Amino acid sequence: MTQTQNDTHWITEGLTVESALEHVYAKNGFHQEFVISKDSLRELAQRFRSREYFLECLSVVDYPDHFECCYQFNRWDKIHRVLVKVRNPDKTHPHFPTLSDIYEGANWYEREGYDFFGVIFDNHPHLTRLLLPETAKIHPMRKDFKGDSGTDVEDVLALIEYEDHQYEKVSQELKNKYQKDYFINMGPQHPSTHGVLRLLLHLDGERVLETYPVIGYSHRDHERMAEYKNYLQFTPNMGRMDYVGAMSFNFGYIGLIEKALGMAPSPRAEYIRVFSTELNRIASHLLWLGTYLLDLGAMTPFFYCFDDRENILDMLEMLTGERLTYNFFRFGGVAYDVPEGLGDQLKAFIPKMRGRLKDYKILIEKNIIFMKRTKEIGVLTKDQALSYGVTGPMLRACGIAYDIRKAEPYSIYPEMNFEIPTFPGCDTFARYQVRLAEIEQSLRIAEQAFAKMPEGPIKGEKAPKVSPKVPAGEFYFAVESARGHYGEYLVANGSANPYRLKQRTPSYANLSSLSSMLSGHLVADVVAVLGSTDVVMPEIDR
Amino acid sequence: MYFDIIIKIILTGVVLGGALNLAGLLTWVERKQSAVMQDRIGANRASLFGLRILGLFHPLADMLKLILKEDFTPRYAHKILHALAPFVSVFFALIAFAAIPIGNDFAWRGHAIHLQVAHINVGLLYILSVMSMGVYGVVLAGFASNNNYSFLGGLRASSQMISYEITMGVSIMGIVMMDGSLNLQNIVQAQGQYWHHLPLWGIFLQPVSFFLFLTAAMAETKRTPFDLPEGESEIIGYFVEYSGMKFGMFFLTDFLETVLASALLTTLFLGGWQIPYLFHDGFHFPWGTVWIMAQPWVILLGVIAFSIKVIFFCWFLMMIRWTLPRFRYDQLMRLGWKIMLPISLINILVTGLVMVLL
Repeated sequence: MTQTQNDTHWITEGLTVESALEHVYAKNGFHQEFVISKDSLRELAQRFRSREYFLECLSVVDYPDHFECCYQFNRWDKIHRVLVKVRNPDKTHPHFPTLSDIYEGANWYEREGYDFFGVIFDNHPHLTRLLLPETAKIHPMRKDFKGDSGTDVEDVLALIEYEDHQYEKVSQELKNKYQKDYFINMGPQHPSTHGVLRLLLHLDGERVLETYPVIGYSHRDHERMAEYKNYLQFTPNMGRMDYVGAMSFNFGYIGLIEKALGMAPSPRAEYIRVFSTELNRIASHLLWLGTYLLDLGAMTPFFYCFDDRENILDMLEMLTGERLTYNFFRFGGVAYDVPEGLGDQLKAFIPKMRGRLKDYKILIEKNIIFMKRTKEIGVLTKDQALSYGVTGPMLRACGIAYDIRKAEPYSIYPEMNFEIPTFPGCDTFARYQVRLAEIEQSLRIAEQAFAKMPEGPIKGEKAPKVSPKVPAGEFYFAVESARGHYGEYLVANGSANPYRLKQRTPSYANLSSLSSMLSGHLVADVVAVLGSTDVVMPEIDR
Repeated sequence: MYFDIIIKIILTGVVLGGALNLAGLLTWVERKQSAVMQDRIGANRASLFGLRILGLFHPLADMLKLILKEDFTPRYAHKILHALAPFVSVFFALIAFAAIPIGNDFAWRGHAIHLQVAHINVGLLYILSVMSMGVYGVVLAGFASNNNYSFLGGLRASSQMISYEITMGVSIMGIVMMDGSLNLQNIVQAQGQYWHHLPLWGIFLQPVSFFLFLTAAMAETKRTPFDLPEGESEIIGYFVEYSGMKFGMFFLTDFLETVLASALLTTLFLGGWQIPYLFHDGFHFPWGTVWIMAQPWVILLGVIAFSIKVIFFCWFLMMIRWTLPRFRYDQLMRLGWKIMLPISLINILVTGLVMVLL
């Protein structure tokens, strides 16, 4: 620890530090914490940026006497998570400096902060609502917001106001304003936006000039829900966020609470968790592969991929009783033990899937049209990835081997023998390569985890019988979901509910980088690039 | 005089009925073909009196459903053009069949009967021009719907069809040069010759031209990998704003054009109604065997051979559709203008040189 302190002297040198704290990484998930003044924030962010730290997450917390912005900076190569806090005691007009010109990924985080808390980020280029409708008048994450049980009923109802009568007026105005420009609203009902994403494309013919992703169509405010529910009640919500790779989200939340409680699951449960999560990851990548080729106009692979995915869903159904929105993990263990017959199915499935992978490779990579459609399309450079905080397969397609399973090992991943596939292409084809290689690695992990699984109880000795009370403190826990770095920032106050539970979902940052990948491409590429980001909208909208 | 008219009416009925029914049947073939390729069972639910017959009633059920559906016109669409577009599409796809010879000419009770609805000496030119007229339906649909997506679809369709029209026309010039005729019946009859017992079909004489024409025809019929005007995962297509039977008519046009392209491919490159070693009086096999047949049987065999070849090409186009992903717009244009057009021009040059030198 002392070494890091020496190494990181540059962080606060010459800045106004209100307080500094050395966290115990194993307990809280942070290496260091600083509370600094508002004026020093931008200077500090620039220092982080120049030393290749990425902005992992930005959470706003509403404390009784002040608003707090928590910036997390981290590195790809060597984990060093720094929590930087800025406080604003003005509860009525909270202002913070913007970081959106230093870290482009901060753009959306800050808009979200404005949306949920009414926090103003000065000099932000486009500080508008992100997840709530533009007409919203509420800031639902503020502690004084009571929702429809309180006095804000009218404001809430205003959200569903319908404005059809304005069409004639608005369309005429727009016609006069844009003589030459061509706009297309891709979504939210477009078949290739994988859910309810809306892309506002500004076109010149078929060429994309600018892209504005509009999100929030499946926003349910899980973060607010977490504050109302106790720790156990919140577990089913995890399957509703990333419905394609729900196991990883289970893992993230349960792992966070276990970390906060200082409790370890039973050894058998660890292995069950790992192999079910890896199977789920394969299912997620298969779904991606099928739909991605569907986006490119090839319909047949979709059915092949779903055929394989079906095998996995059958196995996970045997294990969990659910096929999609898993709620399988429990504090200190898992819900059910491995049923009879699952082992045989898994042993039959793994070699079969390996054979199918070879088929996919030949069928896809020998196709000239596919190669031409994906190579050198949607290039995301390493620097852009850093700026946006992109993680997961998209980052590994830039040649950076950042995977939480290796970088910040959790559970039994250190015991597993696997590699992190990286490809240097930076384009959509590299993303395809990474995901296909990851299926193979996940197969390896699942195989090993199932083989090494010890006998024993599926719940740890200290597993709570009722919803636990997490001791006061701040905790961060991250797992590698199928789409990247999924982290949760928990502010607990010792009660039965979280005080604040910020969800750092991977697709959120990945999608925010979309507009920078698209300029100059054609409409057909929009679909190809968007598909390659592998977004799951409910996870972004939360 | 009356006799000729009656013959023409019967012939029109046969060709029109054949084309429409084949197009209808193709919807079923497509579903089954894709199902076979995708490890599925495919459409098999529609039943009539408890009979399912592999779901053969699905085209009927589809048609019924489309006719009974609400015919919706968007509020800000151009009403007349919006309604006109599908008719234009279907009309030009249908009348193109007129110049296709479905069998050999023969004489019956002193009347010369041409198994060709329109016995015109510029049949090929006629078909090419009518096929390019078909784009008007698509462009109108894209324009009149007042929808950004369909507008893009219409734009894509027009540029794509204009580009590939040229390659299509140029690629078959080799055949026209060799036969010295634009009459499709003459072209088919010329393919009845033999060179050391090898039938001189267009595909053997002009293989390059065959592949060029096949590609261009796929592009003309707007099928994968050239289905950019539809592009259901990108811009949904020029028919976004159509519902009910109007949409059905675009759908039908798609299949009609497939049949038309197959018929053209058959006529130009696969000897049309020709069967190898079948002459006007029966089979004369190269090894000496001779089967003498009456003339009506020979003609009938020719018509059957033509139909089988057309169905083969239809199936072939289906198979390609379910195999490949879609091109991108600029790649499509590059393929058309920078690769296919130069090759087809070189093909003409080489054909001309060979003809002069031999």
